[in-house]
Amino acid sequence: MYVLNLFNVRLRRFHNHISLYRALLGITTTYSEHQLVSLLKQRDAKAFEYLYENYSGALYNIVLQIIGDVELSNDVLQDVFVSIWRKIESYDSVKGRLFTWMLNITRNASIDVLRSKSYQNSKKNQSISDQNEFDNGGKTSQLNVDNIGVRKILEKLKPEHRVLIDLAYFKGYTQEEIAEIESIPIGTVKTRIRNALIQLREHLK
Amino acid sequence: MNIQEYISSGIVESYVLGLADEAERARFETFCASHEEVRAARDAFELALEEQARNGSIAPPAHVKINILAQLGMDKYVAEKTDIDRSGNIARKFGEYPTGQAKIIRSSGWSKYLAAASIALLVGSTILNFYLFQQYKDYSERYSSLLASQTELADNNRALQTSLDEYRNTISHLKNPGMSVIRMAGNQVPKNGSPDPSSMATIYWNKTSAEVYLMINNLPKNTAGKQYQLWAIVDGKPISAGVFDMNEANPVMKMSKVSGAQAFAVTLEEKGGSESPKGAMYVLGSI
Repeated sequence: MYVLNLFNVRLRRFHNHISLYRALLGITTTYSEHQLVSLLKQRDAKAFEYLYENYSGALYNIVLQIIGDVELSNDVLQDVFVSIWRKIESYDSVKGRLFTWMLNITRNASIDVLRSKSYQNSKKNQSISDQNEFDNGGKTSQLNVDNIGVRKILEKLKPEHRVLIDLAYFKGYTQEEIAEIESIPIGTVKTRIRNALIQLREHLK
Repeated sequence: MNIQEYISSGIVESYVLGLADEAERARFETFCASHEEVRAARDAFELALEEQARNGSIAPPAHVKINILAQLGMDKYVAEKTDIDRSGNIARKFGEYPTGQAKIIRSSGWSKYLAAASIALLVGSTILNFYLFQQYKDYSERYSSLLASQTELADNNRALQTSLDEYRNTISHLKNPGMSVIRMAGNQVPKNGSPDPSSMATIYWNKTSAEVYLMINNLPKNTAGKQYQLWAIVDGKPISAGVFDMNEANPVMKMSKVSGAQAFAVTLEEKGGSESPKGAMYVLGSI
């Protein structure tokens, strides 16, 4: 009987080795969106890392496009992923894809920072110091993100549409605010944004 | 309002991009639930947007990920994936993915060694398990044969116990002080008539209880079909006291009761014995 027990113990260890081995091979795991959401809701750290590796680049692009400053964008991206982890319970797949949900969190967080008082102040200071270092080759901490990602689609829009989408989507202004900034009637703003969005879809096809 | 018009009014895009106001959102969600084509249009735009956005991936600096994991208390996970170099900077060891479609690529550094070590461990474990299984089979076989021989030994022991009990019983009778000892010998047979003059047997006879025990000292082995027969000579007439085989394993046998005998003799008869002695007399002893 002792021998049998010993045998069973060895067998169990063997299974453990296999799980370890599979965990190591699990490096190349891919999840379906449904699996990923389910694992995230179960607080699976590995799934979270997968999420980061697969989506951080796309979301970082959006943050950079809205904020521009690299250091600040890094902080915002960090906040975004912390928010995603903390709010994942509230994600409802009926209302849309996971990426759409994350994209909106990213955009909202970025616009919040963009329009915050401290950012507006730092921007003023920066423009003064930029003038002082006028002859340093124009180096700034901005990345050129104008021709990739969602911004790339904007390039294809008519200029009067592009500026409205830029103000609405990347600056987060309301339609009333845009009407004021652009000095055009609110009805025109609404029509142009709608037409811009319809065009946008055509370009994505 | 026509559903197709609704779909192409720009509501799908403004909803997905988060530009729709509260009332528009609520209305759109109702339409999504009730109209499959609205939902399909939304799914299609979401997929296209996601694809476009991911094509525009820009890898964030490594420390962003480390900070996030640390902030979320996944430090252990961080420790597994990263290393801190001498200058105190956090060096990224894994996940240097391309700026295009983000894919997890983690195959550098010690993970390779870990994987290799794990495979070696697996192979080692398999061999060990095979070895242990062989040993287990071997032990199992040995255990079965031990069990069989143990049963055999127990049977033998029981048989020995039985015969030992018989001996004890016999000896307790032989010890009885009223037991007479009559030596029967081949050379006492008249006219040297014994086929084997060196033959010898001993009678233990209790005259009071009439019990007779025969001990064979030396008799030739009887052939098949023949048996020895013990005779008591009472008043000059031979009376059978039973038949027996020459059996070295059982040299003391209890025979039939005999009273008033003057002599004992053993003859070799046909198997089963005779009414009166017909065969050759091997031994004879008088009281």
